[in-house]
Amino acid sequence: MSYEVTIEPTGDVIEVDEGQTILDAALRQGVWLPFACGHGTCATCKVQVLEGEADIGNASPFALMDVERDEGKVLACCAMPQSDLVIEADIDVDPDFAGYPVVDFVGTLTEVRDLSPTIKGFWFELDRELEFQAGQYVNLRIPGVEGSRAFSIANKPSDSRTLELHVRKVPGGAGTTWLHEQLQVGQTLEISGPYGQFFVRKSDEQDAIFIAGGSGLSSPQSMILDLLEEGDRRQLYLFQGARNLAELYNRELFEGLERNYPNFHYIPALNDPLPEDHWQGFTGFVHEAAMARFDNRFSGHKAYLCGPPPMIDAAITALMQGRLFERDIHMERFFTAADGSEESTRSALFKRI
Amino acid sequence: MAANKLNLKDKYRLLTRDLDWEFSYQERKKAFPFEEFEGIKITDWSKWEDPFRLTMDAYWKYQAEKEKKLYAIFDAFAQNNSQLNVTDPRYINAIKLFLTAVSPLEYQAFQGFAHTGRQFGGVGARVACQMQSIDELRHVQTQIHAMSHYNKFFDGFQDWSHMHDRVWYLSVPKSFFDDARSAGPFEYLVAISFSFEYVLTNLLFVPFMSGAAYNGDMATVTFGFSAQSDEARHMTLGLEVIKFLLEQHEDNVPLVQKWIDKWFWRGAQLLSIVGMMMDYMLPNKVMSWKEAWGVYFEEAGGALFKDLARYGIRMPKYVEQVQTEHMSHQLWWTMYTHGHATGFHTWIPTDEEMDWLSEKYPETFDKYYRPRWELAKQMEAEGNRFYTKALPQLCTTCQIPMLFTEVDDPTQLSFRDTVYHGERYHFCSDGCRDIFHEEPEKYVQSWLPVHQIFQGNCGGPGVEQVLSEYYGMNLGADNLDIKGSPDEQRWNRWKGVA
Repeated sequence: MSYEVTIEPTGDVIEVDEGQTILDAALRQGVWLPFACGHGTCATCKVQVLEGEADIGNASPFALMDVERDEGKVLACCAMPQSDLVIEADIDVDPDFAGYPVVDFVGTLTEVRDLSPTIKGFWFELDRELEFQAGQYVNLRIPGVEGSRAFSIANKPSDSRTLELHVRKVPGGAGTTWLHEQLQVGQTLEISGPYGQFFVRKSDEQDAIFIAGGSGLSSPQSMILDLLEEGDRRQLYLFQGARNLAELYNRELFEGLERNYPNFHYIPALNDPLPEDHWQGFTGFVHEAAMARFDNRFSGHKAYLCGPPPMIDAAITALMQGRLFERDIHMERFFTAADGSEESTRSALFKRI
Repeated sequence: MAANKLNLKDKYRLLTRDLDWEFSYQERKKAFPFEEFEGIKITDWSKWEDPFRLTMDAYWKYQAEKEKKLYAIFDAFAQNNSQLNVTDPRYINAIKLFLTAVSPLEYQAFQGFAHTGRQFGGVGARVACQMQSIDELRHVQTQIHAMSHYNKFFDGFQDWSHMHDRVWYLSVPKSFFDDARSAGPFEYLVAISFSFEYVLTNLLFVPFMSGAAYNGDMATVTFGFSAQSDEARHMTLGLEVIKFLLEQHEDNVPLVQKWIDKWFWRGAQLLSIVGMMMDYMLPNKVMSWKEAWGVYFEEAGGALFKDLARYGIRMPKYVEQVQTEHMSHQLWWTMYTHGHATGFHTWIPTDEEMDWLSEKYPETFDKYYRPRWELAKQMEAEGNRFYTKALPQLCTTCQIPMLFTEVDDPTQLSFRDTVYHGERYHFCSDGCRDIFHEEPEKYVQSWLPVHQIFQGNCGGPGVEQVLSEYYGMNLGADNLDIKGSPDEQRWNRWKGVA
């Protein structure tokens, strides 16, 4: 049994299990809420319940006072939903967030193609227009798999009736295995979206650095295609990381863009090229390619990171040591079931990192 | 989307930023003369993110309700004669230590934040410091009120602030805060808001509050909860300070690291008092000092320093020199043997307590510390309860007596020294010696109680006169062993024992 909790003013939606606290569920699902002590004594995580019922849990009477209880305030670190909830938290809405409503779609698979030995591209025709911001993702309902699976949209928003997804086959992953092995052209899937806070902060005029690893190329691809289509003049740098040449997909697309758009720069990096690749480009991890290109000085940029958690982690460290900080770093982590197993204590130092 | 209503952030910005003003006839630099004094570079105060958004009207409303609740519990505690519900009179000595060592620090924090807040050009930081300053004043007041009840029934509570300023072992917490308050404004915030309030505060408050809960002291538990509800603001201020400084300029990174190294070490040494309280003074034990350090520093601090590594900040220097295995035993032994000069009672741990210590410190207690207590027991049985005749030598930096041992040899006392302008100065550790080397002109001014006694600045000539006339202790009542003390005799009478 779980409840759906909508967090205003951003509209993020999280699933909270029976007996789980709102804060725990939010942090595990990548939604940041203010918090400090984590056990009901400090009140940093106080939120207002707008709709629904919640058990206040072990909130200290000094941290959550009677008048506040009467007003429907709860502490997210110890409150447990008793129904679906809408809560209002002390968090900021990004001025660049368009807030397109989440809609249900039916998608018909029109094409599937190997992009690399482990990644397939899927193209769907949608039954209605999908309004989204480049960088956001959709959820797919996969037959026989409980819950939904999230995939970032790789096409640009102006192609609103198609949906391009890049899917890496996760070893032992039920959803990605089904997509790779079972899904046939002509079949339909239930899709919902758009979701997520990963999008280009266009109101910020700083040059943009995109760092992508594996199938995490999808979001940056959409973002870059969108910016270039709009005639955006800022400098755009795409660092694409892959293990070897065969895994480096869509290279021709970006080399073509680089020839046509003087403000677009494409820097592929292979961390383990094969001898037969005869690789002349950057050898090493993708964050190292960025460090080399910018001589370890990243301030004055916006950075967008998309890919597996270890890549994101290494990239954040590289960027911060190069003097670019949380407010200018945006990311989408591609978690798989395997990533969730290593839980660690979180400090309250960063909001989103 | 719904019509835009101001979110909390914008509302708070409007309510605080407009408190600032432009300087028309005076240079801004002259208005904030200490802002550049430490070498910290602030390029843009507007990047300061308010660590909490609490306006004054809401603040008074919240705090008033907290006070009502808190004082209702104090009243109930007093009316029920709840001093009789504590585990045994030994516990009260932990509270005496809290009132004389910790509560005055809350007052120092009040003064420190009021002074420091004045020094910042950024209005956000000024408002945050002002709010914390008021909190700290509330904390010291509620603590005095909570403990004043015990003053009616037990010795040693009568003149805590006077004692804080003069008593030899209380110069350890006092000089810690004096050091922070006489530093520049940014060092003060790194020392108190970050190193103390954020990194180490759980090691102070959680043990005392859980200790109170485990030993039937409802009043202390309640002021603890009441204070904790304010601590969140203090902790988030500590985090914002550190992020802000590290992001403002890369030249700030080594300065911040130096301060973290210094204040972590000073804090860890200071908290040995808490370790002693947990391992020896609580009749019902919560957890050992070593366990508390593991939970509240190693786990929580580990996650924090992993995140700070992204800024190029490493774990505090000397972290591997913190001797959680030994410090509580060595400190309580020192207090026990100087028990004629302490404002609280001391005692030999019971057999059950020694077994608990063996279990919690299996590698060290039986080997190094149990034999000492067995000897003390034997001497006591022979009518020779041991009190040392000597005054201890103090570390010039942390002012703790030289009682800690070498990291690699628990049978060897750790001594360091250095010569500065022809004078020799002594230290308990590498950490304290290095801190002196960074700012010798500051620490040569240390008011070391034992030196002061020998120089004749604390009355005398004998130790007895110093204790009674200069410190204000009631000799024979406040000091000495719990066995045979008036505290114990009264307790036994109330309980109908013997």
